[in-house]
Amino acid sequence: MPLIIKDEYPEKLFREDGKRLDGRDKHELRPIKMEVGVLENADGSAYIEWGNNKIYAAVYGPREVHPHHLAKPDRGILRVFYRMATFSVFDRKRPAPGRREKEISMVITDCLEPVLFLELYPGTSFEVYINVMDADGGTRCACTTVAALALADAGIPMRSLVTSVAMGKIDGEIITDLSGIEDKAGEADLPCAMTWFNEELSLLQFDGSMDLKEFSECLTLAKDALTKIHEIQLETLKKKYIEIQEEHKGGEKEK
Amino acid sequence: MMNIKRVISTIEKNYILSNLKKGERIDGRDLWEYRDWTVKSDVIASAEGSAEVTLGKTKVITGLKYDVGTPFPDLPGEGVCTFMAELLPLASPLFERGPPNEQSIELARVVDRGIRHADCVQTKKLCIKENEAVYILFVDIYVINYSGNLIDAGGVSALTTLLSSHIPEGKWVDGKVEWTGKYLTGETIVNELPMVVTYGKIGDIIFLDPSLPEELVCEGKISISVTEDKITSIQKSGYATFSIEEIEMLSKKSMEIGNRVKKELNIEQYRTK
Amino acid sequence: MEHEKDESIEETITDNNETEEIDEFDEEETSRELVVPGEVLTEDTKNFLPGRGSIFNKDRTKIMSLNIGLKQINKNYINVIPLRGFYTPRPGDKIIALVTDKNPVKYRCDINAKDEGILKPKNTNTIKRGKPRGFRGGAPDNYDNSTEKYDIGDILIVKVLSADRLNKPELTTVGKYLGKRRDGLVISIDPPKIPRVIGRSGSMIKMLKNLTKCNIFVTQNGRIWLKGEDIAHERLLIDAVRKIEKEAHTVGLTDRMSEYIENEKKKRGIN
Repeated sequence: MPLIIKDEYPEKLFREDGKRLDGRDKHELRPIKMEVGVLENADGSAYIEWGNNKIYAAVYGPREVHPHHLAKPDRGILRVFYRMATFSVFDRKRPAPGRREKEISMVITDCLEPVLFLELYPGTSFEVYINVMDADGGTRCACTTVAALALADAGIPMRSLVTSVAMGKIDGEIITDLSGIEDKAGEADLPCAMTWFNEELSLLQFDGSMDLKEFSECLTLAKDALTKIHEIQLETLKKKYIEIQEEHKGGEKEK
Repeated sequence: MMNIKRVISTIEKNYILSNLKKGERIDGRDLWEYRDWTVKSDVIASAEGSAEVTLGKTKVITGLKYDVGTPFPDLPGEGVCTFMAELLPLASPLFERGPPNEQSIELARVVDRGIRHADCVQTKKLCIKENEAVYILFVDIYVINYSGNLIDAGGVSALTTLLSSHIPEGKWVDGKVEWTGKYLTGETIVNELPMVVTYGKIGDIIFLDPSLPEELVCEGKISISVTEDKITSIQKSGYATFSIEEIEMLSKKSMEIGNRVKKELNIEQYRTK
Repeated sequence: MEHEKDESIEETITDNNETEEIDEFDEEETSRELVVPGEVLTEDTKNFLPGRGSIFNKDRTKIMSLNIGLKQINKNYINVIPLRGFYTPRPGDKIIALVTDKNPVKYRCDINAKDEGILKPKNTNTIKRGKPRGFRGGAPDNYDNSTEKYDIGDILIVKVLSADRLNKPELTTVGKYLGKRRDGLVISIDPPKIPRVIGRSGSMIKMLKNLTKCNIFVTQNGRIWLKGEDIAHERLLIDAVRKIEKEAHTVGLTDRMSEYIENEKKKRGIN
């Protein structure tokens, strides 16, 4: 039977005052909070709150490959397991992994792989577990962003971090960082991710309708947003250690 | 302690046991002491009820979603409340991905039974139209970090989730369910507040709230669910045996401990009105 | 032959760990500047080369960090001393192994690395030149050659004999201070922090041992075996090690740690 309250969206996604429904400007990011080293049993871990998205990521590796037949003799393999909690979405999601989750797992794997040196670890596997406890638009982008932090937290050598954001188009306007409602009711949805060592895109998907001018504008604006989010990632990684250093500042050199 | 592996070292086992014999637990607690609790309700925006609970370093996040469906034929005027638990691989290298295994099924079932037999969830109030439409509540427990004693943490998180819930209220109009504009809350849905209390046993020694190393080396566990003055469910696991005197002692202790913890955490404060 | 209460365990600490690698965290060349993966360490690629934990970018115009760590300049090499990482076995490493499986031809051990370690029976006994040691005139007929039999769950101090990218590391318990531990306990810390626990020329570990009155054996795979006179001392040592792990990247740590331990001893009422 249908749920008592329906998942319905307003017709206009901009308010009278020109702001988006959640009060943001067109290119304003939602509040983002990140933390590393939150799960002690994993080799590396991170947590992110991005708007209402709440996501945990954990890394195990390098370790033996299970099942063995997936192991590659000349390089390590990266496996990402993206799963959503049943209560993370409006309509309860069934607990077993679905096709969407498998697709997103694959997309995130391809997105993270360029920064790793898998050829240095033959016959092993790196596993990234991403669990979405609460979803609110741009979820796969938040997952990629937090997964990159977890890999760094695990001490795995990386060419650079990876940062991701969901761009979109609502009511004819290009906007940055889609919320849940904008994702569902908007005209286009462009999740993308950048690897910083070469400043190229390692994740790019698009659903909707845009002309070439809009598309180009969208990609340029994406880079701005990604740069800002990357700053937050870097600050998060350093914060823990810098706080401790501040506490115990001796009379030592500060380079 | 050493990183968690499937094989526990003999010296670790001996270390825990020899200290227990002297009344010392490796983290300094006494035999009947809980680790620190933290409880937060309403942590998941997409859920109709939710709670995050930590017990020591064990962390669980529980959420509630509802559905509307036809009732069971033998209970035409009652709604349904069902529990599930997932031991996420990120919580421990001991947890493998895949369908629920024995440990997660046990966690879900023990929490379920402790709540079901305590006159906790008022399933008659979860009926919209007898024989036609009732609420089905899904309470799903996710283990985020495993550091021993998932059952007690799971129990408090499930209870807090139900207590703090906010479910759209439906009424039966012309053969369909319509929203009244109001919500069912913990005030209506939850009556008694059962608490589940878990003990570990190694050799002759019984202790409350096993931490991770204790749980990995213990020979048996027993979980006792209680309300103010009744025992509502018991689950014994592991190959250790318990004497009748021990069981009676533990049942009595569980009521004291359950009531004390309920008051200390002030679980009642999470009830939505 | 068992050698557990042999040559005082005291010697184990000073002798074994003094010859360990230098404490990079305490080195003069290590700045306290924190860097992260992808961070540019320098654009002066004429005068500097990437060392540990760093790499050229594609057109060799910059040197970038590969890890979270502390930037270190050593002659013309730029290194990053990692603050997080996993253990990679190297020949000669002394590590703590946990026996997880055994069969007639080998023991399989957890060594906190991507591969398990293999301990072959020939690397466990004390046979010298084919003759069992200590039996003048030859061994009795019923003498069992594999004298050190280990069980699943045993903690062994081992040395890495060989380790390469393709094969599982091989271990041995033949050697001074190596072999099975029958008591005490083992804790794990982040492997990159191990040098900090040892300290420059063993300064930190000597101080820990003296002040907490515990026997300690620090190994390369992040595992530390310890045994104190009672659980209170052991807890203090464990808390101290965790503090070192947390503050490894700060200055003045050795002095701060001895102050910490003295204060805690007073607070906890132990001496």
